[in-house]
Amino acid sequence: MHIMEGFLPWQWCLIWWLVALPCLFLGVYQLKKILAADRGALPLLGVTGGFIFILSSLKLPSVTGSSSHPTGTGLSTISFGPWITAVVCAIVLLFQSLFLAHGGLSTLGANIVSMGIVGPLAGYGVYRLLRNTKVNIYITVFLVTALADIFTYATTSLQLALAYPAATGGFASSFILFLGIFAVTQIPLAIVEGFVLALVFKYIIALKPDILIRLKIFSEEKINIARKDYS
Amino acid sequence: MSFKYTLEILTLIVIVAFCAIFLYTSSSMDSAGFSGSDNAGSELVAKLSGTPVDNFKPLIPQWQPPSTEIESCLFAFQAAIGGILVGGVFGYWMGQKKNA
Repeated sequence: MHIMEGFLPWQWCLIWWLVALPCLFLGVYQLKKILAADRGALPLLGVTGGFIFILSSLKLPSVTGSSSHPTGTGLSTISFGPWITAVVCAIVLLFQSLFLAHGGLSTLGANIVSMGIVGPLAGYGVYRLLRNTKVNIYITVFLVTALADIFTYATTSLQLALAYPAATGGFASSFILFLGIFAVTQIPLAIVEGFVLALVFKYIIALKPDILIRLKIFSEEKINIARKDYS
Repeated sequence: MSFKYTLEILTLIVIVAFCAIFLYTSSSMDSAGFSGSDNAGSELVAKLSGTPVDNFKPLIPQWQPPSTEIESCLFAFQAAIGGILVGGVFGYWMGQKKNA
């Protein structure tokens, strides 16, 4: 989902930076608040951020004949919300643009918006919808992870389609073309990512259920059911 | 009802299915070069704008890894940072649980 350096006109770079910056400030503010209230959240932040580092570095072949990488933002989205996830993603994307030439500094704002903001926001919406229902925790984690991943790539398609509408068919035609490249490739990867992160969440519940309860990520009752039935 | 290893088994099935589909695609699809979707996106931008890919110049100067090997090494370094974080914290939690 990286938009390469130089591939967005400067006006669009500026717009996406203006969207990304307030979210990053909000994320830093929330992060400070959470860590001041409970230092026990720091290891969980390490694990959720660690998975963004790992999964976003893995370029995997997909069934469409091209390769792409998962985003790994699902766990962080569930545990800390979209704004803190945006901060973690900004660090990963900055690393990739400085040392790997994947993405760039001018397009960093656009890439933060897709991977760190819109994807996690979509996932967070699903999490809020299912958190207090009887839906199994692991199904929630799977859906949040897979949707955050697919929405990230759909957003990249939208960003590129806005900047480069097709000569015939305009924005809509261009958006469908970009979706065909990014989102379709991503669907199988998002499904695998959803299963893997649901499994990781099982081990977090097994080892440190108290932090999930303290941070009110899921209710004690739901966590106890997940622990009892799956361990 | 207990589902002790359900998630592990499901994840394994999905990964095996994913690998099998990849092997089938790579052997049956002539156009399957498995290049990155980022590159395919850049090529589509070039096609839509009528500007060759090489003519897109960075707005902000950017360092490029000198070879694909160095690039792979740096990607591995990124994964290692994540692995150290995840492994360190899981180890810390397991130690805490053992001592409790």
